[in-house]
Formats: sequence, C-alpha cells, structure tokens
Amino acid sequence: MLEIRGLEVTFPGAPSPALRGVELRLDRAKMVVVGANGSGKTTLVRSVLGLVRPTAGSIAVGGRDVGGIHGETGLSTNLGEVYRLMSLPVRDLVRVMALLKGGDPAEMEGRLHEFELDSVRGKRMHELSTGQQKLVGDLFAICFRPNLVLLDEPFDNVDFARRRRLVRLLRELPADILLNTHELDLLGSFDGWGLSLMFEGRLLGPFPVADLDRLYLTRGAAPGALATMDTSLGTFSITRDAGDRPVKSATSLNALVEALA
Amino acid sequence: MNLWRPYAKAMLTNSSLWFWSVAFMVFWLAIGAFLESGGVGPQRSEVVAYATSWYAVIVLIGLSLLAAAIAGSFAYGSASLAYAFRYSRLTPSGYLGSIVGGSAVLGLAISVVLLGATAGLFGARFSTALPPVDPLGLLGVSLVGGVFFMALSATLALVAINYLGLRSSNYVGYVPLLLSFVLGNAQVYVVLPRWFVYGSPFNDLTSLLYQGYAGTPATVQLGGSSLSLDWIPLLAGLLVWSALLATCTLFLLRRIRVRQLEEGRQV
Repeated sequence: MLEIRGLEVTFPGAPSPALRGVELRLDRAKMVVVGANGSGKTTLVRSVLGLVRPTAGSIAVGGRDVGGIHGETGLSTNLGEVYRLMSLPVRDLVRVMALLKGGDPAEMEGRLHEFELDSVRGKRMHELSTGQQKLVGDLFAICFRPNLVLLDEPFDNVDFARRRRLVRLLRELPADILLNTHELDLLGSFDGWGLSLMFEGRLLGPFPVADLDRLYLTRGAAPGALATMDTSLGTFSITRDAGDRPVKSATSLNALVEALA
Repeated sequence: MNLWRPYAKAMLTNSSLWFWSVAFMVFWLAIGAFLESGGVGPQRSEVVAYATSWYAVIVLIGLSLLAAAIAGSFAYGSASLAYAFRYSRLTPSGYLGSIVGGSAVLGLAISVVLLGATAGLFGARFSTALPPVDPLGLLGVSLVGGVFFMALSATLALVAINYLGLRSSNYVGYVPLLLSFVLGNAQVYVVLPRWFVYGSPFNDLTSLLYQGYAGTPATVQLGGSSLSLDWIPLLAGLLVWSALLATCTLFLLRRIRVRQLEEGRQV
C-alpha cells in the first residue's frame, strides 16, 4: 500500500516546486499517471523510492514512512538508475537482484526469454540499446513477487509487439501498480485502472480510465468540476461529459492547456 | 546478505584495474630494478633492503590505486545503493563487507603478482635469489592493508558524494594515492620520528611489508637507520585505523545522498 500526503518537492535553486501538494493512495489498485515530460511524474516515483528528499508532506509504503524503511523487498521499479550496483553482464545482475529481493533468478530468465531478450544476457546494461535497457528494467520490476510496482514510462522505445505483451503482464500482475506515461493513446489498454493527470507538479484525480472518453478540459473554474488547477497559464477545470476540449483529443495535457490558454 | 562473489567477479574481469594496479606497478618495479639501482650493492643486505623498499612502496601505491578506483564507483551507484538499502535485503554493513571481500580477492592476487615480480626482477638484476622470507605473512598484511585502503577511499568518496558534490570527488580520489606516494617514499629517504611511523597507517603498512619480505624489522628509515620498529604496534596501528575508517564508511553509507553523474563534469 502506498499513501502520499501533501507531498512537495522543490529542488535547490529551482524557481518553482517540482511537486505541489500531491495526494495519492494506492491500496489493492492500479493507477496510470498521465502527464507531459517535465510535469513531475518521475520525481514522484523517485520520491517514493527515497532518491529525492521531500520538502514537505509524507510518503508511506506499507504503513511505514519512506525515510525509515529498510529491507522492504516488496516494492520494485523499472528505473534504470537503481540497477547500477555493479558492472556485470545481465545474467549475473539477474542473480544479484534475485538474491537482493529474495526471489528465483529462473523467473527473470524466463521473462527475458519470453520477451526475446536472450541475446542481452551476456551484455552489460550500458551495452544494451535504449529499448532493451527499458525492457530489462521493466522485467526486473515485475519479477520476484512484488506487491507494489512503480513504473516510469515503461513503453518508451519498446516495439509494438512487446508493448502488448507487457500490457498483458501488467494487467495480470497481482500487485499494486503506479504507472507513469505521457502517451494518452495507450490508456485504452488499462480498463479498470485509476487515472490521474499530472500537470506542473500537481496530481489531479483519480478518475476511472474508462471515463477518459468523457473527460474534458475547460478554461476557468467550471461549476461542478471534478478538479481544478491553477497553472502558469491560468485556471483550468476537468469536467465530465461537457467542456471546451476532450482530454483524449490531445497527445498530452500540456498541449491541451496551451491550446486553450 | 553478502555480495562479495559477484563483486570479486566484477573486479577480476576488469582489465583496467589489472592494468593500473598490476601492469603499471610491475613497470615501476622494472624501473627500480634496472634503471634506478646504479649505486646499490654489492653487499646482500644492501640489495635486500633496496628491493624490499621498492616492493613495500609499490604495494602501497598499487593498493591505493585499486581502492580509489573501486570507491570511485560509488558515485555511479548512489541511487542503486539508496534504493537497495530501503527496498532489498542489502544492508550498509553487508555492502561494505561485500565490497571489502571482493576487493580482498583482487588485492591478494595483486600482492602475489607483485611479490613474484619483485623477486624475479630484482633477482635478475643482482643475479641472486631474493625470495620473501614470510610470504604468508605478507599476504596477511596485504589483506589488512587492502581493508585499510578500501575504508579510507570509501570514506573520502562518500564525504564527497554526501557533502562536497561530485566535482570534488574527482580530486578526493587522488588523496590516498598522493599520501601513499609521499609517506611511502618519505620512509625511504627521510629519518622519520618513530611516533610518526607508528601513528601513520601508510608507514605501518610499509614497515610491515618490509619486515615480511626481508625478514628483519623495518627501521624508521628503510635500509638507512638502525632504529628498528616493533611489528606489534605497527599492526595494531593499521588495524585501529582500518576499524575507525570502516566505522566512518558505515556512518556515511547509511546517509548516502543520490547524485546525478552529470554533476561531476568539470566543463
């Protein structure tokens, strides 16, 4: 279970916070966070991983504050920077990660085979293509029986066939999942999941992914809005069934806001 | 949780570590044996003192190079460590044990090669057999020396990562090497105060290596003074420094700060 309350992150010297008042609760649930590049999605994941110090607010994993967590093997991620413990071929790294997570390396070996990644076993991470690195990180995240998975842009540079395989795996995985993406066209694959929108460090939602077709962005504070946000371009509302522009019509929330501003 | 085997494998298969910590050091032993040895001899005691002094200083520098290179990797893995300490079974003490255990394997291999190279090169130059008197003792001392250098380099690297920034870590990495070069050579060329030798872990190690190879107690100036040193306080000094620095490393590892590698670029 993941619980985030009033999370704020401001990097030293930055003119504005990277995350502002983020509230999120994930308990036996799966959620997609959609936002443009630079909206704060990765900072959110890195905060939960303990790689970024919050300026304010709290993050609890399994009821324990992230600052005091040790040995919690149930949380995993695909973030590449956490798999740089040592310079070893992937096959050895698999054994190391299995040892660290208390899992069976055969599970990851099987997944590598399933995703036609047998050729990467003898290579070090830095020798892989960008897409291969991303997929190996994705597979590390879902192996070894996690109960909370944090995925940052898991489909970047991944080909269509393997995206479909990965989506199927994620849907079937018996774990809470927080998945960041900037690709709105993939959301149809996540029927039944929650959907939150990230814009300029604010998290709006959650809404059911199935409602995506019914969500609109409206300029100003609309009466009966599902959520409102004050941005550098003005105030905008998320409304249902009516509004200025359908959320799904844009490639990203940023483009939509800029079009309306 | 101990990862010393994968770390040992990562180090033993790293050609850069072998080149700089072994091949480059053997090159300097060859310089000492064939180019710098003009005024040495012909008495055997003088030859032994000369060869042993080179061996002791070169092992000191070789181990410091190895440790600095390994500790330099901490910057690449700061996010991995911060994540692993929270979300895996790895603990800071387990990690330190793993990295020290892994580097001890390579450190021992380096010591054996440098021991053979010293005996071979200096023996060939002076046409006499120069076997180490206590090879097992030398390996033991090298092991403790390796732990000391690993703890020193790790402490310095972590101070840079946690408090100074990665730009400083490029320079901090040179500190053990510079101290090894200066203090190791100081004991060859200068009559150092006895208290200084006992208190300096670099000179503790140099003196113990000297005694293990030559079979006679080291002196405050190697081969140039009659004031000999007792191995017990030398070993005690080295162990106390190693324990102190290992404690500092653990303290700093528990607070490791995540850095982006790009931060280390100078220009």
